[in-house]
Amino acid sequence: MAEPANLDDLPQATVVPKKRARLSVVWIIPILVALVAIGVAIQRILNEGPTITIVFRAAEGIEVGKTFVKYKDVNIGQVTAVQLTDDYGKVEVKAKIAKSAQGLMVEDAKFWIVRPIVSLSGISGLSTLLSGNYIGFDAGKSDRSQRTFTALDVPPIITGQAGRQFVLNANDLGSLAIGSPIYYRRLPVGQVIAYDLAADGKSVQIKVFVNAPYDKYVTSETRFWNASGLDVSVNANGVDVHTESVAALLVGGLAFDTPSFSSQAAGAAANSVFTLYRDRSTAMKVPDPVARRYVLHFRESLRGLAVGAPVTFLGLPAGEVASIGLSFDAAKADIRPRVVISFYPERLIASTEQGASLRAQDEDKSKRDLLLKRLIEERGLRGQLRSGNLITGQLYVAFDYFPNAPKVKINLSPETPELPVVPGPVVDLEAKLASILDKVDKLPLAAIGNDLKKDLEALDQTLQNAKQLLSDVDVQLVPELRSDLEGLQRTLAAVERAMNSADTTLLGADAPAQQELRAALQEFARAAQSVRALTDYLERHPESALRGKRQPTRGAN
Amino acid sequence: MSATALSALQEGLVSCETCGLLSRPARADQRGRCPRCGAGLEGRRKESIQRTWALIIAAAICYIPANILPVLTTHTLVSSESDTIMAGVIYLYTSGSWPLALIVLVASVMIPIGKLVALGYLLISVQRGSVKNSRDRVRLYRLVELIGRWSMLDVFVDAFVVALVQLQPLMSVEPGPGVLFFMAVVILTMVAAQSFDPRLIWDSDGDGRGRNG
Repeated sequence: MAEPANLDDLPQATVVPKKRARLSVVWIIPILVALVAIGVAIQRILNEGPTITIVFRAAEGIEVGKTFVKYKDVNIGQVTAVQLTDDYGKVEVKAKIAKSAQGLMVEDAKFWIVRPIVSLSGISGLSTLLSGNYIGFDAGKSDRSQRTFTALDVPPIITGQAGRQFVLNANDLGSLAIGSPIYYRRLPVGQVIAYDLAADGKSVQIKVFVNAPYDKYVTSETRFWNASGLDVSVNANGVDVHTESVAALLVGGLAFDTPSFSSQAAGAAANSVFTLYRDRSTAMKVPDPVARRYVLHFRESLRGLAVGAPVTFLGLPAGEVASIGLSFDAAKADIRPRVVISFYPERLIASTEQGASLRAQDEDKSKRDLLLKRLIEERGLRGQLRSGNLITGQLYVAFDYFPNAPKVKINLSPETPELPVVPGPVVDLEAKLASILDKVDKLPLAAIGNDLKKDLEALDQTLQNAKQLLSDVDVQLVPELRSDLEGLQRTLAAVERAMNSADTTLLGADAPAQQELRAALQEFARAAQSVRALTDYLERHPESALRGKRQPTRGAN
Repeated sequence: MSATALSALQEGLVSCETCGLLSRPARADQRGRCPRCGAGLEGRRKESIQRTWALIIAAAICYIPANILPVLTTHTLVSSESDTIMAGVIYLYTSGSWPLALIVLVASVMIPIGKLVALGYLLISVQRGSVKNSRDRVRLYRLVELIGRWSMLDVFVDAFVVALVQLQPLMSVEPGPGVLFFMAVVILTMVAAQSFDPRLIWDSDGDGRGRNG
């Protein structure tokens, strides 16, 4: 066991030369390259923004790799994929957002497609004509980040621009559109940025944006009205035509102003809600905190009186008709026209110079009521229906003083107190006529007739008597008279004959009496001549009466 | 094929790579210089396989970012666009000029990767002492070496475009980081092809023992 065998047979251990595991320096190159590549990769990963998904209704003009997401005209991302949603109903757009804009991808961030819009109110998105549509972005305010968004169908507010957004409640949209201008004293100061139907479907909510610095003129008391198109209204005041600008005429528009009677007005907060009025006059007159409703019970027809018809106080607008109807009084079985009006005479007073203190009392209801009560009970303030326009027959309600109106006591405590009325001018006239007719009606015409009849009968009797008398006269006197007359006639004929003979005796041309008369007259004339000569002579020679006629020697005669 | 030929190395001789003169090495561990032209003499290129491997691996690493990163960023008035090589190929193809797309695809995508694969194949076959297809393999090597210089075409085009298209602010072109990596791929593969010693292909023919450098 211990004896060694042939040792020479044992294999010789070999010396294997140690292979030097020499690593070439050249390996530095791949290591270096790998380090650089890894560095680049890490940098890319670190700079990698999120990939977000935006759901669009339609991918209008969106192209992979070419469509950018822009915020304030800065690229913040790029579309990486466009595909339909699983139900094929919409379009899912995936966009890679820059790392720097990662913080913007929050819950209420908005996305929409910006496309060129050419409208009457201007051109927007002109750059998209060259670059194609892009995805507009608007930052949200939330802190919670989100990766899936639903795009808006219409572009939202022009963000970043200084100014404020307000909400207007309107009955209908009118001719407004997104981009319709808003005017303040006819300066374009903003635009309509969105509109939507209210949740209950009963009104339209219009979002408007008023640029700085004009937004400070929007105060809590500012009134907005629709300045769209041509506003032609025919009412009790006549025909009214009004427009804000030619552009507004074409594309519609809004206007706002602050009524002069609102003095202390703080700027309205953003997103304040205002009412959009139909027109300027409506906007500038209505709702006032002191406006109160009253009911008027007229006695006459309300034909021509419309809701919205003006209510005037001493001729100045001080309210309007709120509703028209009938009221039924079961106790009296009476149906009367019932007019509810918004009436605020106090406001007119408040706008006077001394009105400031009254305005302060606006909130004090009892004082206002007292004032109105005194006006009605002591001064005779009454409502009256009047015709505002004879052509259209529109009526309005006028409040004026009627000192002669019967005194009334009013109760202003109910929610809608009743105010006294007097009949309108036309109705008044009718009433007067009626009263005249009444008086005529009341005359004792029958009695008068009877008396008259009796008188006439008496007269008739008298006349009968007279007739009798006359016939008596006729019968008894006339024959004698006739014989007398005949005698007279005969006498007259004799007279005539006598006259005729006298005529021929005395007046005929060759009547002897006449010739004699003529000769006698000639004789008389000569005698008168002689007498004159004698008297002349005696006048000149008075002595001749004694001495006789003397022979003339000298030319005395 | 011509399997029985003796190699100079087997006889302890060294041939000059520059002038082709066959000479005896000065000492066994130090080859010395060529007595005729003075070029350094080496039986086989030093660490040929290891170096080539290193360079190929580096090139392969660079090949990835070269294709992922944009090679060209075009700024126009309204937009700016970054294009990778593949995006350019796709753009050319979709815009209808498929011959151009094919040229770019071949020159910029397929040739680099073909070079990498070819060199890798040569190295592996040498390391495994394969004796088959030696002639084909050396032909492949020549092809790789020949093509190498033309691969820079892309880089040249890029450089020209960047230099020429500078119409600020209408349009400008900037090189992207991808082009640097692409250039690195081309240079590294060229150097790798240089560092590979084709004589190794024939070493396996004799005693079946390759010689690692």
